Amino acid sequence: MKRKLAKKRVAIDVGGTFTDCLVLDELGELTKFKASTTPRDPSDGFMHALEKAARHYQSDVRGLLATVDILIHGTTLATNTLITGQGARTGMITTKNFRDVLELRRGIKPVDISLYNVFIPPNRPLVPRSRRLGIEERVVYTGEIVTPLNEREVVEAVTKLKQDGVEALAVCFLHSYKNPKNELRAAAIARQVAPDMYVTTSHETLPMWREFERFNTTVVGAYVGPVVSHYLTKLKTRLEDAGFKGAMLMMLANGLVQPVEKCIHRAVHLLDSGPAAAPSAAVYLGKLLNRENLLAVDMGGTSFDVSLIKGWEIPTTTENWDGDQRIAIKMVDLETLGAGGGSIAAIDSLGLLKVGPQSAGADPGPACYGRGTQPTVTDADVLLGYIPHDYFLGGEIPLDLELAKKAMNVVAGPMKISPIQAAEAIFKSVNAGMADKISEVSTKRGHDVRECVLVAGGGGGPTHGGFIADLLGMPTVVIPSFAALFSAFGMFAMDPGEDFVRAFFARSTGVDLDEMNRLFQDMEREAKQSFRDVGIAEKALTLKRTADIRYVGQFHEVETEVPGGKLKRAQLDATVARFSARHEELFTFAMPWQPVEILSLRLKATAPRAPFHLREIVKGVSNPKAALKRRRKCRFDGKDIDTPVYDGDRIQGGNVLMGPAIVEEATMTVVIPKGFRCQVDAYKNYVLTRQKKAAATRGR
Amino acid sequence: MNRTKKVTRAKTDPTTVATVWHSMQTICREMRHVMDRTAQNYLISQLHDVSVGIWGAKGETIAVPEGLPTQFLGSGFAVKSLVEKFGGDIHPGDVFLTNDPYHGGHCCHLPDWAFFRPIFYKKELLFFTMVRAHQQDTGGSFPGGYFPNGFDIHAEGVIIPPTKVISKGRERTDVLELIWNNVRFPKGTRIDNYAMLAATKRCEQRVVAMLDNYGRNVVLDCVEQMINRTERAIREEIRKIPDGTYTGEAATDDDGTVLDEPVWVRAEITIKGDEMTIDLSKSDAQRKGFINSIYAATYGDAFAAVILIFDPALAEYHNEGTMRPIHIIAPPGTVVNAQYPATVGASPVNVGIQVMEAVLEALSKARPERAVAAWGKHRGDYVFGFNVRTNEKYVRTSFDYDGSSGAVAGFDGYQGVSCLTALGAVRRGDAEEMEIRLPWRMVRYEMLPDFTGAGRWRGGPGIHWSAINEGSDSGVATGSSDGDEVQGFGALGGEPSPKSRMHLLRGAERIRVKPHRMATIMHGDIVEKLSSGGGGVGNPAERDPQAVHEDVENELVSLQAAREVYKVVIDPATLQVDEKATRALRGGR
Repeated sequence: MKRKLAKKRVAIDVGGTFTDCLVLDELGELTKFKASTTPRDPSDGFMHALEKAARHYQSDVRGLLATVDILIHGTTLATNTLITGQGARTGMITTKNFRDVLELRRGIKPVDISLYNVFIPPNRPLVPRSRRLGIEERVVYTGEIVTPLNEREVVEAVTKLKQDGVEALAVCFLHSYKNPKNELRAAAIARQVAPDMYVTTSHETLPMWREFERFNTTVVGAYVGPVVSHYLTKLKTRLEDAGFKGAMLMMLANGLVQPVEKCIHRAVHLLDSGPAAAPSAAVYLGKLLNRENLLAVDMGGTSFDVSLIKGWEIPTTTENWDGDQRIAIKMVDLETLGAGGGSIAAIDSLGLLKVGPQSAGADPGPACYGRGTQPTVTDADVLLGYIPHDYFLGGEIPLDLELAKKAMNVVAGPMKISPIQAAEAIFKSVNAGMADKISEVSTKRGHDVRECVLVAGGGGGPTHGGFIADLLGMPTVVIPSFAALFSAFGMFAMDPGEDFVRAFFARSTGVDLDEMNRLFQDMEREAKQSFRDVGIAEKALTLKRTADIRYVGQFHEVETEVPGGKLKRAQLDATVARFSARHEELFTFAMPWQPVEILSLRLKATAPRAPFHLREIVKGVSNPKAALKRRRKCRFDGKDIDTPVYDGDRIQGGNVLMGPAIVEEATMTVVIPKGFRCQVDAYKNYVLTRQKKAAATRGR
Repeated sequence: MNRTKKVTRAKTDPTTVATVWHSMQTICREMRHVMDRTAQNYLISQLHDVSVGIWGAKGETIAVPEGLPTQFLGSGFAVKSLVEKFGGDIHPGDVFLTNDPYHGGHCCHLPDWAFFRPIFYKKELLFFTMVRAHQQDTGGSFPGGYFPNGFDIHAEGVIIPPTKVISKGRERTDVLELIWNNVRFPKGTRIDNYAMLAATKRCEQRVVAMLDNYGRNVVLDCVEQMINRTERAIREEIRKIPDGTYTGEAATDDDGTVLDEPVWVRAEITIKGDEMTIDLSKSDAQRKGFINSIYAATYGDAFAAVILIFDPALAEYHNEGTMRPIHIIAPPGTVVNAQYPATVGASPVNVGIQVMEAVLEALSKARPERAVAAWGKHRGDYVFGFNVRTNEKYVRTSFDYDGSSGAVAGFDGYQGVSCLTALGAVRRGDAEEMEIRLPWRMVRYEMLPDFTGAGRWRGGPGIHWSAINEGSDSGVATGSSDGDEVQGFGALGGEPSPKSRMHLLRGAERIRVKPHRMATIMHGDIVEKLSSGGGGVGNPAERDPQAVHEDVENELVSLQAAREVYKVVIDPATLQVDEKATRALRGGR
């Protein structure tokens, strides 16, 4: 059932190295394009990608854009700005006598450093103390203003910060989530005093209690704000100049999309824009294969992102740290390991091999690219025969085998093994690290990995996915043909939506149901308005209510679904029972005798995405010999094995490939390890199935 | 109980060793996560007064990645006596509880309760896991467990010797209720205990899955290899210290019973080749007051201190191998090896911290390139009152009032991390959270200028914390405070951490409250706590003038201190360093 669309849709994901572009045409077919990212001004790379696409449709950018109604965009700009320390000179005005909340944090040393390591530099907050100024004002937990805002002090502070060259300002007052009046007034004064300053407030960023988490999130938003808003404004202008009249939607941290106009002043929500789309790509495939529990992995050049998806629900969390920065907005629950194709192998203090988290990145890159000398995972992949040295990115980048071999000596020497053995050790070690991360992620969420399907995306996923699944005893791996453009695909596969939240606090025994109903209705009204603004009708919306619930006394909540419509006692009791069941599932026990507290009411509004389908490939027979390209020696389990290599362009639906085997595509190399059977489906997804039982291979 | 069979297989490859090792660390993190998400006690969930780990069947330490050293680096002793006491009566699904410093419990003080779960694989006992956490209350004369002047340990709370509370998977409810009936917040304690049990269960599930995955022999071989590798690395580290004897000492303000008389811990550390002996024999005799430390706690603190001066790259690898080349002598009857029925309520932050400081002071002399100065002393207290908003009694404690860490050779002290014995394992609370939960309003929570040990590398900043009591008149026990009189040492010519203070502001009155005392906080009183930062390392006159300039700009160092302490002249008008005047003041250097 193919429905014809009125216009084209485009998704563009600007990553660290490549700008990925996917176009969904009027017939519902997807075509992929890749351009280099241009770090100096990423809007250049963005336009190059559009040019490539335009050429494919025998048009120019203007011509192409005239046929596009929706453009979805993900970008690593906010994340990169934060991790490279290239953000704006930021200032903060805050409640007098509390100027150090940001620096004292919660008394936390860096989260990934052992408590037995005291030889570390002190925390350097994004805003130094000299640019954090106290203002006389005070709101208490009830929302009552016990000390009015001293407006003169705001004027003085902003003037001082302006003179100090501050470009972005975070306005952060205690209990502003309960009563934002003082913050709003201070922000208005700041905008008057310094019209060019990027001004944000804590209650708008995150209307939730806990000041360190709220303030820090706000400051991160201010820090990345000017860079992001400058880029988005420029990009918007360039697109408009090129005649674009459709809607431009930004990919947000929470896995939803929002019109670009709304994002320009909410930059913190653009962290992880891009990677946050990957899980929805996995959900799409899960639905195609009718498998509900998925582990989506995205192995890129420097990092490996994992997310666990249950029942096709994209998981989210508010517990994120990005390096030293706590970001407490709701984000797609991705856990990241510093492991990727560029990860460097070294010998650690106990004489053991360690791979990552240091990465050779795009520059110098793996040794086989010709500039680096440190051995990396990609070098190992090449030496083991998995990645073709003559067909990397379809031959765009020639790889040097000798340099890869030479680099191996850095670890091979101390371990007294040969370069090829070193390559195997690196390969095994990085796979084991990724497998461990996956089991950490899944058990933390109470799941047995063996009940999940591994969806392997990113440039490295197709090469390593089978081996990781083998280590974990996972029976099935899916490698989509768009694996290397995983996030861009995810942007199509997701439903546009928006999250809303209201602070609330009540014990289940004394809930003010009227207030609860009022807050939900309020959010629903806001949601409908917001979607109407981008031309989505009310009847197309799906509204999902949740509440954060905990047992009285606990400090952490479990997000629990709340029924729609007018809430009465019965619905509330059912919600509480649902919470207890979920608690047991997550933590091995429940306490039905204990009263609960309900706080933070949430609403997620989504509209169905445009229908599309993947292009079907030619159906063939199970024997893949028509696609055989060549044979080469590949190393499996310490042995060189003469391995068949297939041409991805000639693979046909229904082909069955028995491991060991390799499929070369322009954007990826699929490795089918020994013991796996690969069935190619009608959309060219490579579905790998384990032929042997779990738990038999490790610790040989 | 089956005996552990000897491992006879060929050595496992290094990749598998590293993988199994990291899996153990991951399991411990998951255990803490379960506690975090489910406990109701502020100290456990928010402030992480929690320790978890994995031990071998004979008590050898395997994985100790998270937690308070004083609570558990010495837990191997408890595992050993558990095995001795229960012999053949340890079965799959059993769980044991103890909080006893004596009678084989080896707990440092009564509020720290520990749940031990044996981990069996195919009917063979291979490991123990343990979770230890500070309970909201443990009975005794006053809430919270940190009050002075108990007659003996029986006055400090309910004492639970190693006791089977779950038998083959069945809860011994009568036994648990007997215990809960003896604490002030039985409902909350029950929740926390279930959170702890859940964490040990999660550990068991994960370890068994790991054994399924790799096989028993491979896992045991990996453990043995890791312990041996760590031991070799530690011996290598000890060999880097010149042979000889080094001394250090530290004191607590008083013992809470005999007032204003400091109590000393003295360390004599002898290095010989690749072995280290820490002799604490010259420490003061066991006291009547509640600051005494038992041997297992002393052992844990001494180790935690030693570990700090080793190569930080080893930080994540410590285990039984670390302990083999290091010997700790603490004769019975001293304040570092107290005997029944001595009181021990304030042990972790009083004598416990002094053990760490004495060891670090000695080792900072022995290995100056790895010098570690003292941190700000712990400034905790327990407030117990009535919350009119909820009609409930409450106990408040936190690490919010602590200063910061001390400097190390090469870096200034880290801001905001709590006292030395916690090493940053615990956390501060949010002001908003406290104001919502308790009848208190924060007045000030900021860093204090010129209130840390100066040095070429200075201590982290001191803290000013004050809040107004909007609830009932309440009691306060300052047993977990120290440092009104004694100061944490600075190393290599760095200045010590300044003296701290606590006051009650009542109208125009400013009432000083010393550590180890009890006092009343009236409705409307403001509690003001001035908590110093840590000690400095190196001569302050050698500090980089630009670093001093930055501190002045950030209002952490005054112009006067810049000139007098750091010998850096800064122009008050432009706030720029006067390089010429600075050189002159520093004697031309």
